[in-house]
Amino acid sequence: MAYQKNVMCDSPVRDFADSQVLEVAIGEGVVTKAPDIICSKGLGSCVVVTLYDAQRRIGGLAHIMLPHSVSLNGHHTPYHRADTAIAALVKALQGKGARRQDMVAKMAGGARMFSDYQDSSPGIGAENIMSIKNVLKRKGVPLIGEDVGGNYGRSIEFYLDSGKLIVRAIGKEDRVI
Amino acid sequence: MNDKGLVLSKEQLDFLSEMMNVGAGNAATAFTQMLGCEVNLKMPAVHVLSAPKVIPILHDPSLPVACVRMGLVGDVTGDMFFVVSEEQKTNLIHLMERAPPLGNAEGKNPQSAIRIPHSTTGFSVLAEIGNILVGVYLTAIHDFCKLNIYHRVPIVAVDMIQSLLDESLVALRRQIERIVVVENELIVEEKRIRTFLLFVPSAESVNTLVDSIGQARIAMCEE
Repeated sequence: MAYQKNVMCDSPVRDFADSQVLEVAIGEGVVTKAPDIICSKGLGSCVVVTLYDAQRRIGGLAHIMLPHSVSLNGHHTPYHRADTAIAALVKALQGKGARRQDMVAKMAGGARMFSDYQDSSPGIGAENIMSIKNVLKRKGVPLIGEDVGGNYGRSIEFYLDSGKLIVRAIGKEDRVI
Repeated sequence: MNDKGLVLSKEQLDFLSEMMNVGAGNAATAFTQMLGCEVNLKMPAVHVLSAPKVIPILHDPSLPVACVRMGLVGDVTGDMFFVVSEEQKTNLIHLMERAPPLGNAEGKNPQSAIRIPHSTTGFSVLAEIGNILVGVYLTAIHDFCKLNIYHRVPIVAVDMIQSLLDESLVALRRQIERIVVVENELIVEEKRIRTFLLFVPSAESVNTLVDSIGQARIAMCEE
């Protein structure tokens, strides 16, 4: 698999031979179990939220593009918007046997890529971050790690065997959250 | 609201390509005058594609591209993006270094020729190229379709293409809909520089744009 060469691991002996790499595009969500890896590339103002049940090593990822206050026309999935995305993700995890009280959340993304001096609004990225935090709070899912904001794009890899989220950005050190 | 989004017939797409070709001709003239050497633009290839299909055409999604974003105001609102890969960016900036001092044209100090000591200056060169290309294309659209569209101040950023586009696509509610991609190739002496221009009309402007292209084509055929 093309991603294998980029796979970062804590110990060189760890074997990823049995793991699948699942790529999640904008407005999509996926749920799987260890030892799979979920990745998402090129997050700008979009935000990735991961939910993980460490007891059962089941996790899921949603690639969210809009805060919950915004209505969408035309074709869209529950994963486009913060509120419906998190609800759908929690449900999908429970469907795989995860327990709500054991779930923890992490998030990455929500950048502002172009600093427009004419526009003083916080931008879609910041709205996404706020919205997701509110939804998680309402659902009672603790947010245990985040790498958000800034003016640069991110790519992420979510390791279901450890629950670790690796955040990469061009010209920056990889971050593990 | 047009549920079909940006849908053009084959004839309308040909007509749009023809407009872009006129624009490219004017751009070549502008660059030739600016650089003092002959610049040709290959006939641009125009595609109308959904956003997820655009990204692989432009570049490897995990590698950085240089991107100039210009907001559109007027009869059609939305965004224009001028996109070049990192290697092509260097070629473009080197090319622009050959230009005679900009200071002359602007009535400033003639010694302040374009030099590229650091990335910010490179950025302003890119913004200027984006400015010229978008200007000529919008003029061509105006001349044929009688649409007045103006672009805002260009903003430059270098990053993964997907991350650069998503904010605009989200803001314009165009995530799953289609955008216009104009592929340009600048030919200077033996060098070929491939650049892209993305035209992302806002959801509210799609009808205006499609209707104007349709009417202008019919008017042209009748003449």
